[in-house]
Amino acid sequence: MGRDLTVLADEEVMQLVRRGDARAFELIYERHSAAAFSLAYRMMGTRGAAEDVTQDAFLSMWRSGARYDRARGSVRTWILGIVHHRAIDALRRATVHDKRRAGDEGIEERFEARERTDVEAARREEAGAVRGALRSLPSDQSQVIELAYFGGFTHTEIADMLDAPVGTVKGRMRLGLKKMRAQLGEGKVAPV
Amino acid sequence: MSEHERWVDAAGAYVLEAMPEDEREAFERHLDGCAICREEVAELLPAAHALPMASPQMMPPPELKARIMAEVEREAALLAQAGTADRPAPEPRPRRRWLVGWRLAPVAAALLVAGVLAGTALDRDPSRPAEPVQRTVAVRVDLERAPGGSAELRVSGDEATLVGTGMPAPPDGRIYQVWIMPKGSNTPEPTDVLFAPRRDGSIVAAIPDVRDAKMVLVTDEPLGGSDEPSRTPFMTASPS
Repeated sequence: MGRDLTVLADEEVMQLVRRGDARAFELIYERHSAAAFSLAYRMMGTRGAAEDVTQDAFLSMWRSGARYDRARGSVRTWILGIVHHRAIDALRRATVHDKRRAGDEGIEERFEARERTDVEAARREEAGAVRGALRSLPSDQSQVIELAYFGGFTHTEIADMLDAPVGTVKGRMRLGLKKMRAQLGEGKVAPV
Repeated sequence: MSEHERWVDAAGAYVLEAMPEDEREAFERHLDGCAICREEVAELLPAAHALPMASPQMMPPPELKARIMAEVEREAALLAQAGTADRPAPEPRPRRRWLVGWRLAPVAAALLVAGVLAGTALDRDPSRPAEPVQRTVAVRVDLERAPGGSAELRVSGDEATLVGTGMPAPPDGRIYQVWIMPKGSNTPEPTDVLFAPRRDGSIVAAIPDVRDAKMVLVTDEPLGGSDEPSRTPFMTASPS
């Protein structure tokens, strides 16, 4: 009978992934695929494209497990970073700059993640706090942050889109993130 | 305007990955010498890292897991067959080093020990925005070994991607390996790019550096690759 990996922390499981342990990889997938897929869907706007990005990201993670360095952050942050990079790559590779958003279309394709564990419940609370922090920003700040992070647009593209100076766009990004950081750090945002 | 003043509002765009490539590289050079900007990046990064949580949470479809696990289990079996222990971390690439440090290696480097990647060897650094394909180079394929096979080399900057169809699986216990013959030399140098075709016979292999390549060659080699070609080339291309 195999060892029960579910008792291990992500960082320990990653050590097994690094050695090519498929079961360890599966556990990491189970723990983080919903967050990864959700981010991919939000960025790509369609289920097929989100699946492609998620698949690329997890296979990349599997093949480069040795790159994970626990000193630099959590496994979850690492994986979501990979997803974000992959999605940006895909968006910027598009010949037509057609960056659809899940908020704009394909709403019928959504299927909510079920709340499975206390950890998931805590993450829902965290998600509510992040959404609350974003909503609390002045709209011109949340707009540029969302266009950049979820839309994959560069600041120059956003400046063109909004007919605003690049410096203004960059300033809004910085100020918005600073406020979010302060709110999340101080726990001032009521969970949604 | 001082060097720092030039970058005074840059940290937000940087952590959101909203900078064009050239500007990002310039900002990272600035970060090397500017403690104020490094501090600001460190301050804003947690907010950027929290943003994925603002997405509506959804479960991925079960078939996605099935597809991923099929590939992972196949590669795990090959890794076990090659008798690998830890897969060594490849040398980091100087990209987005202040941002997160999560630079992903080319897949072939991640599989240095096992040297095996069935299905695809395409995995360039995902932190790098895609560069447009600048030119396509024809690849000569040994049609006796790959009847109906065809391939091309897509060169983009210093990198290239070998793309093809109709390729046979390498002989048992062997893997395809990419070689670079530098300009001014007639000796192929080994690369870490090892690959096998997908089930449908298609191939995609990322070659990180073809700057000085007079010729790109592909041979089949023992699992893990070779230091010198043990077979005649199966594919050849002249990117320069």
